[in-house]
Amino acid sequence: MDIVSAIFGQSAAMLAGISRYILPLAALLIVVRCIRSMLREHYEPETWAYLYLTGGQMIPLRHWECILGRAKSVDAQIDDPAVERLHTCLIRDATGLWQVYNLGKGETYVNGELVPTGGALIQDADVLSLGPVSARFVDLTEEERASLLKYRHAPGRQVRPGVTLLLLTCFQILLLLQQLVYNPDAGLGVAIAFGEVTAIQWVYFIVLRASGQTGFEPELLAFFLSSVGMSMAASKTPGDMTKYIILFAVSVGLYVFLCLWIRDLKRVKSVRLYAFIAAVGLLAVTLVLAPERNGAHSWIEIGSFTIQPSEFVKVLYIYAGAATLDRLFVNRNLIFYIGFSAACVGLLALMGDFGTALVFFVTFLVISFMRSGSFATVFLAVAGAVLGVMLVVTVKPHVVARFQTWGHVWDDIYGNGFQQVRAMSAAASGGLFGQGSGHGWLVDIYAAETDMVFAVISEELGLITALCCVASILAMAMFVVKNASSGRSSYFVIAAAATMSMMLVQVILNVYGTMDILPFTGVTFPFASVGGSSLIACWMLLAFVKGSDIRANASFAVKRPERFSGGIGVEEPPVDDGYDQTSYDGEDYPDDGYYDGDGYYDGDDGGYYDQGRRA
Amino acid sequence: MRKVTTRAFAVLLLAALVVAGMGVYLFRLVKDGGDWAAFYANDSVYTNGKLNRGSITDRDGVVLASAGEDGFRYADDSSVRRGCLHVVGDLDGNIGTSMLSVFRSRFINYSFLTGTTTEGGAMQLTIDAEVSAAAYDALAGMKGTVLVYNYQTGEIICMVSTPGWDPQEGVTFDVNDSAYEGAFINRAISSRFTPGSVFKLVTMAAAIETIPDLWDQTFTCNGSTIIGSQKVNCTGYHGTIGVEQGLACSCNVVFGELGRQLGGARISQYAEKYGLTSEHTLNGKIPTAAGSVPAAQGDGDAAWSAIGQYEDLINPYSFLRFIGAIANGGVAVEPTILAGKSAGSERIMEPGTAQTLSEMMSYNVSYEYGTWAYPGLDMHAKTGTAETNGGTHAWFAGFITNKPLAFVVMAERAGSGYGVASPIANTVLQKAVSVLD
Repeated sequence: MDIVSAIFGQSAAMLAGISRYILPLAALLIVVRCIRSMLREHYEPETWAYLYLTGGQMIPLRHWECILGRAKSVDAQIDDPAVERLHTCLIRDATGLWQVYNLGKGETYVNGELVPTGGALIQDADVLSLGPVSARFVDLTEEERASLLKYRHAPGRQVRPGVTLLLLTCFQILLLLQQLVYNPDAGLGVAIAFGEVTAIQWVYFIVLRASGQTGFEPELLAFFLSSVGMSMAASKTPGDMTKYIILFAVSVGLYVFLCLWIRDLKRVKSVRLYAFIAAVGLLAVTLVLAPERNGAHSWIEIGSFTIQPSEFVKVLYIYAGAATLDRLFVNRNLIFYIGFSAACVGLLALMGDFGTALVFFVTFLVISFMRSGSFATVFLAVAGAVLGVMLVVTVKPHVVARFQTWGHVWDDIYGNGFQQVRAMSAAASGGLFGQGSGHGWLVDIYAAETDMVFAVISEELGLITALCCVASILAMAMFVVKNASSGRSSYFVIAAAATMSMMLVQVILNVYGTMDILPFTGVTFPFASVGGSSLIACWMLLAFVKGSDIRANASFAVKRPERFSGGIGVEEPPVDDGYDQTSYDGEDYPDDGYYDGDGYYDGDDGGYYDQGRRA
Repeated sequence: MRKVTTRAFAVLLLAALVVAGMGVYLFRLVKDGGDWAAFYANDSVYTNGKLNRGSITDRDGVVLASAGEDGFRYADDSSVRRGCLHVVGDLDGNIGTSMLSVFRSRFINYSFLTGTTTEGGAMQLTIDAEVSAAAYDALAGMKGTVLVYNYQTGEIICMVSTPGWDPQEGVTFDVNDSAYEGAFINRAISSRFTPGSVFKLVTMAAAIETIPDLWDQTFTCNGSTIIGSQKVNCTGYHGTIGVEQGLACSCNVVFGELGRQLGGARISQYAEKYGLTSEHTLNGKIPTAAGSVPAAQGDGDAAWSAIGQYEDLINPYSFLRFIGAIANGGVAVEPTILAGKSAGSERIMEPGTAQTLSEMMSYNVSYEYGTWAYPGLDMHAKTGTAETNGGTHAWFAGFITNKPLAFVVMAERAGSGYGVASPIANTVLQKAVSVLD
């Protein structure tokens, strides 16, 4: 207040009053601009290679991972009774190399040679045979490649990200102004915190813009939500912002790291096993070490920091749970994945973290649905998990109590409805425009800045801004679904879809638990809830959203095709993107297993895709 | 790959759930947001649990209560504070039918658009602070109620209930103290009492409409009579009289006999017809207590029921509405307490019946009560002295035409209607006539 008064004098309060009406407008503009930019253009399907059947029929390969077979759902349908329903899988890697894998009972040949279980390389003009049916494989020519690049859609022309960023900066300045006027304890710490968000987003933007990137929508939405989160933190602990200042920088740093890391799918796969182990290990360690807090063993204290490891497990879970197409058709992989999920959900249930267990469970359903192709698997999982939930409910009294209060919180305003009735009261008080950042009382109620943050946003920033926060997550989800249609690798499609499912479930549980439309489970709102672990996890998960964005120059999590111009036979120049990239020299990929020896297939050296043949 | 990309639509299912849930939330917010905002823990409208916004004024703009920086302030005048207490209410919510309890959201001034970010609401009532204060003073420590309303517009001018207390000081008395029995209740709205002779107006109306030779009948009162093996006592020796004198003298022999002729069922039926046994709702929000007039079976019980004893119980508010209908040619204008709100009207009585009753009530005054008792007032009224355990309720109900005002005065176990209630009515109505526009 002192700072603002010094600058603006008596008109500070008036300025803050006016800013209350401008803030939702800015929020609305930011979100609408991002949504327009993400969803307005429709993507031209990309073509990466062709198959010419003997009858003269040409089949374009639209993705980097394609299934060939007789079934209608495959990417390249070959309608011949001698071809299996799912016969062959073709996978292109980031360097432009195509690999052939045989699926199921049939046999696949490249230039007459039987494709072994580990797959085989296929090059331009090779003859691919699916049983008796043959096709010529034709890679893109340089001209085609160039024209593909030329006509690919690049974001940022219709809706300029720089303008959105300016709006976002205004949004942050207004938040800061309101904090300084309305929150008597807000001072330098709060100013530094908002300044940091603004500075990081501009540095991020300028660096990437300079390197030719034009797509910034998911990050802008994340920065928007993080600004709201910073405002919540400022309302909660205006005098102690150091933690959030550090955590925000760490979050964005880890996000950038993960984006760079997932550029190379091979590298992603190489550490998947460790991700599995780390996920289960982290949860197990938490269960053993964490003291009970509100009926749950979810938090580990290290020094002055309180860590919620289950948040990081979210990232590991998706990292390990998504899969490339070649692995999808192996039941053994799926069973392993179900076992892994059961371990995660089970450990969370034991910890008493019912809300997070539910988040994992729904994410599990989405991933298994996308992976399996068989409804039976999904139903099995549902049955198992429903039993698990019943178990949780029977053993944890605080969860039962929350279910009992559900729907009649107003009858229990001193007991289990205590938090929700206050949340609803405060949220209604905010109206459309809010009381002003730092001008609310709900944030002082226990856990309001995390578990009831939607209500705090509604109270302080108003319903419009609160709805903008929900719309941000919805927009990212729509974006991911849209990206999926022309996704290159199923890994990114699944990872992005799983990420957004996770965030949507969190939104559902956070918002509707607070408002007594669902039982109150104590789950965070992505990005906006105050809390280090949650914020870091959300930013890291954002990398998977960026990984699904295949528009030209849109995502630094996706390698640009023009930078690995070589086709088959052309030596790939080293790509300077910060890590050691081995170019193809014909010997890096042993014949008996493309990714063998990196721990990925854990010792499976035979019958890789062909359980049928093994039987 | 195609399968995987197609199945990404599973995400849309979750997105649809988010949208659907938001629909439910917004619907509830629009519907119940005002109630949510009025929750006592909402620190934006309460300071230490006390409302910190809003004001309430009488029909002339006299502030009855207002909230500001220095807390909640009631009117400056002690009698106004006490006289308007049961209408305005207290911050602790002791009086459930009060404006502060029922229309709290208007003080809070919640709206969907602005939440509670605007100033508190200003609420204007139809009551008059001076008349209310006069009524409170006139009750002079008795338990009871004074109700006055405009029978043409429905505006409630005065609704006082005693015992009360000074709301500025809060509840400092012992709630078990018999002197404060029912202090948290607005007797006008939430209570029902044995009506005694004021109920004879109902019996009279039934007789007018259903006994063909009513005006030819004469009755002989020797101080008491036997009806259906029950002895019916009268307050005096009225000799041989007709119904007009019977009503004016409030002769129990006359009305006992009318009760026998009418029968308990018909009396009960007329009480129901005149809305005396149903629940009413003031301004759509404040429910009143329903009276009860059960159909007496034998001649003796019917006689007592016709006199307003037996098991008859009447709510003052509903009786005011009935009196208003007599004054207004048979049409009961629904009372309202919010300025500028009319609540509609309903014909409950034949115009001829209303006219006849009106003339008889005027005759009561000229023949029995004395016009000198109501100087300057064109008084139409009926007294009542209801026998109860521990004393008689003093009733006086009627209307004047100087200003279209109907009234009900009831003093609990305080004596006779003429001796106690009638002077209170006179005091209050004199005040009303002098201060109302």
